[in-house]
Amino acid sequence: MAYSFPEEVLEYVFAFLSSHKDRNAVSLVCKSWYEIERWCRRRIFIGNCYAVSPQIVIRRFPEVRAVKIKGKPHFADFNLVPEGWGAYVYPWISAMVRSYPWLEEIKLKRMVVTDESLELLSKSFKNFKVLVLSSCEGFTTDGLASIAANCRNLRELDLRECEVEDLSGHWLSHFPDNFTSLVSLNMSCLGSEVSFSALERLVSRCPNLRTLRLNRAVPVEKLPNLLRRAPQLVEFGTGAYSAENQTDIFSNLVEAFSGCKHLKSLSGFWDVDPAYLPAMYYACTGITSLNLSNATVQSPDLVELIIQCPNLKCLWRERELIEDMTTQVLDYIEDAGLKALPSYCKDLQELRVFPSDPYGAEPNVSLTEQGLVTVSAGCPKLQSVLYFCRQMSNAALITIARNRPNLIRFRLCIIDPQAPDYLTLEPLDTGFGAIVEHCKELLRLSMSGLLTDRVFEYIGTHAKKLEMLSIAFAGDSDLGLHNVLSGCESLRKLEIMDCPFGDKALLANAAKLETMRSLWMSSCSVSYGACKLLGQKMPKLNVEVMDERGHPDSRPETCPVEKLYIYRTVAGPRVDKPNFVWTMDEDAVLRLS
Amino acid sequence: MKKKRCFEETFEEINNVQVPRTLPLLDHIDLCEEEDGVVGWPPINSWRKKICHHHHHHNSRRGCTNPTNYVTVKNGCGGGSRSNSMYVKVKMEGVGIARKVDLSRHHSYQTLIDTLMAMFVNEKVQGYKLAYQDKEGDWLLAGDMPWGTFINSVQRLKLLRNGN
Repeated sequence: MAYSFPEEVLEYVFAFLSSHKDRNAVSLVCKSWYEIERWCRRRIFIGNCYAVSPQIVIRRFPEVRAVKIKGKPHFADFNLVPEGWGAYVYPWISAMVRSYPWLEEIKLKRMVVTDESLELLSKSFKNFKVLVLSSCEGFTTDGLASIAANCRNLRELDLRECEVEDLSGHWLSHFPDNFTSLVSLNMSCLGSEVSFSALERLVSRCPNLRTLRLNRAVPVEKLPNLLRRAPQLVEFGTGAYSAENQTDIFSNLVEAFSGCKHLKSLSGFWDVDPAYLPAMYYACTGITSLNLSNATVQSPDLVELIIQCPNLKCLWRERELIEDMTTQVLDYIEDAGLKALPSYCKDLQELRVFPSDPYGAEPNVSLTEQGLVTVSAGCPKLQSVLYFCRQMSNAALITIARNRPNLIRFRLCIIDPQAPDYLTLEPLDTGFGAIVEHCKELLRLSMSGLLTDRVFEYIGTHAKKLEMLSIAFAGDSDLGLHNVLSGCESLRKLEIMDCPFGDKALLANAAKLETMRSLWMSSCSVSYGACKLLGQKMPKLNVEVMDERGHPDSRPETCPVEKLYIYRTVAGPRVDKPNFVWTMDEDAVLRLS
Repeated sequence: MKKKRCFEETFEEINNVQVPRTLPLLDHIDLCEEEDGVVGWPPINSWRKKICHHHHHHNSRRGCTNPTNYVTVKNGCGGGSRSNSMYVKVKMEGVGIARKVDLSRHHSYQTLIDTLMAMFVNEKVQGYKLAYQDKEGDWLLAGDMPWGTFINSVQRLKLLRNGN
């Protein structure tokens, strides 16, 4: 039947499929659909850069225009992955330069990007439009200068929480005078001061600029100049938000903000002086996303600002939740502030509360589980939560679960490891059990506090849609891990630190690992012997042992490995491993260190 | 650096000390400058940590004189927090990775030295001096003052090769 249907028609229909899952499904229908689909796929998402090689991707998809690649495991964010581990983008860029001359978009997360890579890409892709680097490292502001100087059609330059070696702010001045295509610029993670006049001129000549996120070095008195030149801005991030007390700054800010009638998202707010916050009120009616997670402002001022934003919620775009489109605050908001939230922001969808003093022995703010309970009760659309606090109870968790069965993301970090229910001193098994039982669409769960094997029983039984699970200091035995691996049908990513899980559950569920993207286990009890066995049994997995104490052969086979990272791959063992990573495979036994 | 008695004079027994083969307090491999607790916990990325540290500039928390409450739990044993722990960073000259040692577990220079020997058991520890940074930011050779005074002012430790 497929051959009687013109290819062009199928191609036209396939063009309406934007989700990767749908595209993948289509390609499995029959050979001719596979062929048609692969020629017309324009966007590729690679969730693990080592699961496939650039050559394999290019061979299958010859006409790609946009690439998104993720590198290091998530726990790299918390310093669990040593320097030099890998995730280098250069091999990808050099391969794509040869095969995708018309590439327009590159989005990378947790990858090592060098100035060389940036220069190569800037000079090779004539139609390059979008560069988004999230949590990347390895480049300097010189690399940014190449991008600015050479990418004549650039629309987006978005640096999110990258570790950039900041040589100077001069890079910004490399945008040519006839460059006018900028739509989005996020330089919030950079330290150096850029030439303000260059920035002003850039903003003035780019009429389509809708997103501008400044870095801390841009002083508040310069903001009015910028805002006046870009009243069409939809997303804006301030720099430092305080100054010597000058009344005309305040009135200038008020005037400038009131001219921005299209603002939907605000962020920045380093070093906030609460006296300047009211200047933004005129811009707040349309605000749907507020990121105050840099703002060390106390609760009453925060609440005042949030009150000004009656439309606060967050947006979905395709399947991606854009991290900036949420309400993010430090715990200075306190329970009292959170209590006010539902009254003013009924449409709230995502809440993130970060700790202002995670290392202090005593709480410095009055933020407890009550704040979260209140928001869960009052915000019916709340679906995504990231919450740091110092105490939790099963009762609170059960209440939250009953209030919000529509939760899809629930990440709770009780700062003290293994903290029990503070009211009953029991483990928090039943609380988290209630979450997975009531929230049937839960996709992501991070747990903390005192947890026994029991909680994993609940998770294995109920969390059927769960795709990502993060565990620390939890469980008693292998039974816990076994319940997760055998019960969670949709599991894609599992990351575990400091849990007493060993060989049994892992080996018994080896086949499960091929259905997942990756498994991370650090400071657990998996023996070197079991890792070798797993590597031998499962050729489609890369079983990588990471150990900074030297080659595991220098220790007994029963000795637990420091870190284990297992992922499925069609590219074989990786060739760029540092000297503290070993791939377990058939040759592992024979290989010398 | 102020000159005090050198390491060998203070700790003549160093070279004769039996180095324990097990590594007692060494769960805290520190790869991040600003890390105050267990590596990886609480799950906060380096961006967020920078903000937290900026808050506490005025609280003189530089160099953790106080509280990390976290304990690396292995094999399900142990549990709960230890308050009053006093972790300070230890860097050995020439060794890339800094470590941490809990000074609250020690009551004399001798036990501290023993522990440091064990920590860096793979390095040649003969011929090193122990130095510490005090509250004023100055680097001094350890061993001169009474243990109690030392404990109250030490911010971090360094093992320096002889000849410096």
